[in-house]
Amino acid sequence: MKLILIIIIAILIANGAIAQPCVYKLSGHVEDVDTKEKLVAATASIKETGKQIITNEKGDFVFAALCAGEYTLIITHVSCDTVVKKIILTKDYHIDILMPHTRKVLGDVIVDAQKGIANTGYKKELSGRALEETKGLSLAEALSKINGVTMLQTGSTIAKPIIHGLHSNRILTINNGVRQEGQQWGNEHAPEIDPFIADKLIVIKGVDELRYGSDAIGGVILVEPKGLRNKPGYAAEINSAYFTNNRQYVLSAMFEQQLKKQPAFRYRVQGTFKKGANAATPNYRLNNTGSEEKNFSITVGWKKERFNTEIFYSHFATKVGIFNGSHIGNLTDLLNAIAAPKPNDVFLGQNTYKIQRPYQDVSHDLLKSKTTFYMGEHKFTVLLAGQFNHRKEFDIVRSSTNKNPQLDLSIYTITEDFSWEHPKKNNFSGIGGLSLMQQDNSYSGRYFIPKYFAYTFGGYYIEKWSKHKWELQAGLRYDNKSINTTRLKFNADTINYDFNFSTFASSFNAVYKPTENWKLNTNISLASRAPYVNELLSDGIHHGTATYEKGDISLKPEHSINISAGINYQHPSKVFGFDLLLYSNSINNFIYQQPMPNNPVLTIAGAFPLITYKQTDAILSGFDISTLIKPVPAFDWGSKFSFLHARNKTLNDWLILMPANRLSNEITYNLKDSKIITNTYVSVEMLNVMQQKNIPSDANGKQDYKAPPAAYTLINMNASATMAVYKTPVTISVGVRNLLNTVYRDYLNSMRYFSDEMGRNISLRLKIQLQ
Amino acid sequence: MKKQFLKVAMGVLISGALITSCKKDTVEEPNEEEVITTMKLNFVPVGGGTTLTYQFRDADGPGGAAPTQDEIVLAPSKSYNVTVQLLNETETPAEDITLEVAAEADAHRFYYEPTAGSNIVVSGLNNDANGVPVGITGTWATGAIATGKIKVTLRHFGGTPPGKAIGDLVNSSKSSTDIEVEFNTKIQ
Repeated sequence: MKLILIIIIAILIANGAIAQPCVYKLSGHVEDVDTKEKLVAATASIKETGKQIITNEKGDFVFAALCAGEYTLIITHVSCDTVVKKIILTKDYHIDILMPHTRKVLGDVIVDAQKGIANTGYKKELSGRALEETKGLSLAEALSKINGVTMLQTGSTIAKPIIHGLHSNRILTINNGVRQEGQQWGNEHAPEIDPFIADKLIVIKGVDELRYGSDAIGGVILVEPKGLRNKPGYAAEINSAYFTNNRQYVLSAMFEQQLKKQPAFRYRVQGTFKKGANAATPNYRLNNTGSEEKNFSITVGWKKERFNTEIFYSHFATKVGIFNGSHIGNLTDLLNAIAAPKPNDVFLGQNTYKIQRPYQDVSHDLLKSKTTFYMGEHKFTVLLAGQFNHRKEFDIVRSSTNKNPQLDLSIYTITEDFSWEHPKKNNFSGIGGLSLMQQDNSYSGRYFIPKYFAYTFGGYYIEKWSKHKWELQAGLRYDNKSINTTRLKFNADTINYDFNFSTFASSFNAVYKPTENWKLNTNISLASRAPYVNELLSDGIHHGTATYEKGDISLKPEHSINISAGINYQHPSKVFGFDLLLYSNSINNFIYQQPMPNNPVLTIAGAFPLITYKQTDAILSGFDISTLIKPVPAFDWGSKFSFLHARNKTLNDWLILMPANRLSNEITYNLKDSKIITNTYVSVEMLNVMQQKNIPSDANGKQDYKAPPAAYTLINMNASATMAVYKTPVTISVGVRNLLNTVYRDYLNSMRYFSDEMGRNISLRLKIQLQ
Repeated sequence: MKKQFLKVAMGVLISGALITSCKKDTVEEPNEEEVITTMKLNFVPVGGGTTLTYQFRDADGPGGAAPTQDEIVLAPSKSYNVTVQLLNETETPAEDITLEVAAEADAHRFYYEPTAGSNIVVSGLNNDANGVPVGITGTWATGAIATGKIKVTLRHFGGTPPGKAIGDLVNSSKSSTDIEVEFNTKIQ
């Protein structure tokens, strides 16, 4: 309450200081990029205000009486690709817009042209306001705002995304165009990406997946940065956030420039620092749950009309503490922890930023070069990337003089991607490509996965046809992967295994738009994923679950057939809209962990239940539905519901660790823009997560020793306003997660054995845009 | 056109060089992680006699070949001074991990739990600097002829500070298990 008061006071002070009426003009001129013909009857609209203007016979449009602030300008014309432009308005502003007919022009404004063929299939995007509300959170937390996406957690600091029940190696993460190669296989290995790099987070399924791999059984996450600056001059943005629960503070800054004298040269530097102390549940604070992150990136680009090259380097480094009361020596410990209503007091109550064992220290470096050029109307892209991922896990050890990590994995990956896009002809457009990857993984310390070299080569081809109300897309992909593994034994012996897998994928998507308001979509995708080295060769104690995990070298690739159908409706006056997706993902040879109750592994720390990797036929089916109702212009009522059934067909049983069904209702009140304050809104969300009742039966071997936690309801809030302070747009936001300080545990958080989830967490965000 | 190609080729080469220069040669690293392969119990009879040694041994660490385990055979109505010894025999010479436990005595504690009817009583466990048992040494007293079991557990107190107290039971939520071995016992 105090916070809200402070903000109101801040707003009032700002009011007094800078009373500026909403008098700014945003004018523009639209012409065809090739013919320079003035485009009449193009539609210019401002996303934030909903205003629309049709260009006159000179191709001009004018929006009058705008307030200072940030706007998204969208220009559409029947025979052109849509142009989207972000504008920060601090004075009267004129913009010339060149509409692309063909793919000849490269430009950041031409989103579709830059990305090649638009994906008309499953595509969910987090951007703008929804993304702003997640600033300072992890990538997985941000993505979980998308209906159908949930997260797998280890405490409050480690989270990885789940799409329709699938995660880890079944999801591809594409960081700025490059397939992220870290140690994704582990449940406690979060993606090594700074979310502040992203201007958009996108989840796609279907035909466009084939550009990135044949193994995206669960889908693809695209982390898309904003294009480099396309106008001479500079811009800067500062984002900061503070979270009350764990005293976490975040500072992220960006500076970009296009040189006036040499407009082909453009660059951006960006960096983020984040530090959090121990997190508190409603009743107690958990020791050693702090985290720290230091990231930066540099992008340098050179752009000419028919040639564009870009070099991107990013460094990500994080250190995350793991609650030290969750250390498990053996099964007895796990059962004791489960029996205890709360962790022992020796693991509670310290409010500090200090991180001790157990913790993870992870770094990821990416260097990429992307070059695009045209030969005639054909577009070619060469993407080269090198990645280095270093993961160190420090367990609780006997000796405080031991400074070594217990798990130490280094993975080097080099990728080469070549693609060719043919020009649009007879309603056809298409892209083909070749991908190569070389990877070297090594370890020291405890064995969990072997040292290996992996080589992949693959190729794909996608063709798209669209006419009138129909859009059809189809694609094919083939990959071949060789893996040579070496396990070092203490007596200097090695154990070597070599593997070779061929995987094939294809996808077909059809869209039918009977009217402007309806969109029907159907997709069938085949994907296959080669088993990963941890599934083939892991061999060791998994301390989090008190099991002995053993791989199986005879595993074959998984094959999935994913069928989905979507319906989208938008009422012409925007008062009502809905989006429904039905899917059924049938996976043959689905790799999963099967307990072997009759073969416990006896160790010096007691007997551990054995779990081996097995294959079964699985089916994951469900639906996501979202609706948006706007009873009066100021109010939005958005609802999301996602439902999933995940079955092990061979055993006729449920699959473990699948997200529970959930419902979210969010009401937003948008205030009218005043003279100095714009984009003001207050929203309240109620999130209901049901209890997961569909869990594997003990008849096939006990997989879990604790029943899934009860259903829970959380109330979350957000409020934000943008004002012009000395002509600089400043956005202040307040967010509250778990407003009622509800005590709950989540089935997909491995800490549910030990402790409650985080209590009320109030966040304050400040964003300043300079130019 | 030619010029453009040259530019592209240059770009490719430069970035290729940059990428490969990031990649250092990986060295074959030894498996340096500490494992406890062996727990030895050394029995010195009070009043003289041959020293007895019984052990649990898992020479290749967890997994792989199954561990071997001795039966503890003791004489009736006798007292033994018992010392526990932990070894990592994957290294040569074997590393004595007991020294590390002793060095961090305030965060460790051995518990000895004979089953009823085994006719074994364990007492006189040595203390850490705070006067709380650590149990690296102790006295085992045997009774009449019997067979039974004894469970030896090493618990690690992971808190900072560890907060180990006299009253902490073997299943205290303050500590977690480093070692848990159950031996068969025979008094004959």
